[in-house]
Amino acid sequence: MSLIARIEYWLDEPQHVLRAETLRVLAPLVVLGFMSARLAHVGDWIGDEGFRVPDLGGDWTQPLYVPALPSWAADAVGAAMVVSALLVVVGFKTKPSALVFASICAFVALSDRLAAYSVSKLAPTITLAIFASTAGARVSIDALRKRPRKKKKKKAKPALEKDFLPCAAIRFIQVLPVVIYSASGVAKMRGDWLKEPLVLWSQIHGNYQTWLAFALASSLPAWTWTAMQATVLAFEVGAPLWFSWRRTRPYAVIYGLTMHVMIALLFAPVTWFSLLMITMLVVGYAPDRVFERVALKLPGTLGA
Amino acid sequence: MRVVVALFLVGIWLDGAGTGVDTKILPRPIAFFLQVSALFPLAAHATIDYRAEGYDCRTHLFTELDTRPYFPIDTEDKENRFNRVMRFERHNAKTMHALDDYLVESHDRGNHDDGIPRDDRLGGVRLMSLRIPIPKVGDKLERWSRKPLDAYPESERHEFYRTPPSKIEARCVHPR
Repeated sequence: MSLIARIEYWLDEPQHVLRAETLRVLAPLVVLGFMSARLAHVGDWIGDEGFRVPDLGGDWTQPLYVPALPSWAADAVGAAMVVSALLVVVGFKTKPSALVFASICAFVALSDRLAAYSVSKLAPTITLAIFASTAGARVSIDALRKRPRKKKKKKAKPALEKDFLPCAAIRFIQVLPVVIYSASGVAKMRGDWLKEPLVLWSQIHGNYQTWLAFALASSLPAWTWTAMQATVLAFEVGAPLWFSWRRTRPYAVIYGLTMHVMIALLFAPVTWFSLLMITMLVVGYAPDRVFERVALKLPGTLGA
Repeated sequence: MRVVVALFLVGIWLDGAGTGVDTKILPRPIAFFLQVSALFPLAAHATIDYRAEGYDCRTHLFTELDTRPYFPIDTEDKENRFNRVMRFERHNAKTMHALDDYLVESHDRGNHDDGIPRDDRLGGVRLMSLRIPIPKVGDKLERWSRKPLDAYPESERHEFYRTPPSKIEARCVHPR
């Protein structure tokens, strides 16, 4: 089998349907959580009530100049964002709703570069993955609407056949965090992480600092910060290996989940980014038996 | 479609790894969506905060101007839009002039308490960063809190922008 054929086979390998449904439910909620502070002041954010960076005519800090929206339009975009996200979460008209939500996420990220972070930039991509996936097939209003009114006696399909569908979008969700880790690891190596033993320590001061960060900074000896720094670097640089090798994968997932929990606890504003990464790790790497157990507990069409 | 997705992933890696290839070959709005990784690659040598002072036309003095009422998103951390505009655009004169106008007009509308009496008109602003030294491991630490500008020595303040005197005079002497 050629390499391309192998990759195609790997991409089309059936995935448990609840992986896509988990992504469909969790990712828009995390994105909405991140956007909530912005949505509460939508007129300041994308409207004409707040400060706007003027048209800089091609300056590198401004990917695209988008003029401020009139207040009514900003309110409408904010409302459409919330509604489309919630429609994706409940699985109503899942694909068109996902397309609308992705478009709005892309627009607001470009409209206000000042309030755009990794979550803002990942949101359209992840929502497009939901669009391209089997999301909506289960545990959704779409699934309920497709349920036949009268139950016909059909020969039941084996559970495995019903619950596993080809879904390359889940492969994308598996690969994306690994690419992010790997790139971050290289950036850290090219930065100060191999030269300075206390990079991690240096980052936990200032207004990102949580009470836990302060408590740990006040009590842990210097070597523990260097040790944590070393494990983070080894995890990120080696991510392609840790996640692709079956033997190390479970440990990589556990380390990744722990790292994101710690990031959220130490750097409060990065919580939403951590939750998005945790969502991708769970959707991409939780064992099939977890989803199988959940499917067993879901009633009727919702689960199968 | 699969090729586009693969190129997208390669683009994220190339950008995060700091190659700069993506920004050279892709339109900026596309490259922007690839810039999602590379959190904290460098050691911090100071804790940075950004502040503003307003020139009070009545007292003829610069006094700290609390920008938070005019940048209400994430007011207590550096994801605040004032901090972000200072971080990205502090060397861009056009943006600094626009920020100057925005802060002066916002204060003069008198809708918020910002540390300068609402009835006093502003003639201009001074925009600066605070570079607060990072303590050494083992030093007695103090939990981060926002202190008044006066609490920081001059050596920790770095001014980036000051309204030109002619503009201050025009605003104070000939208010619109």
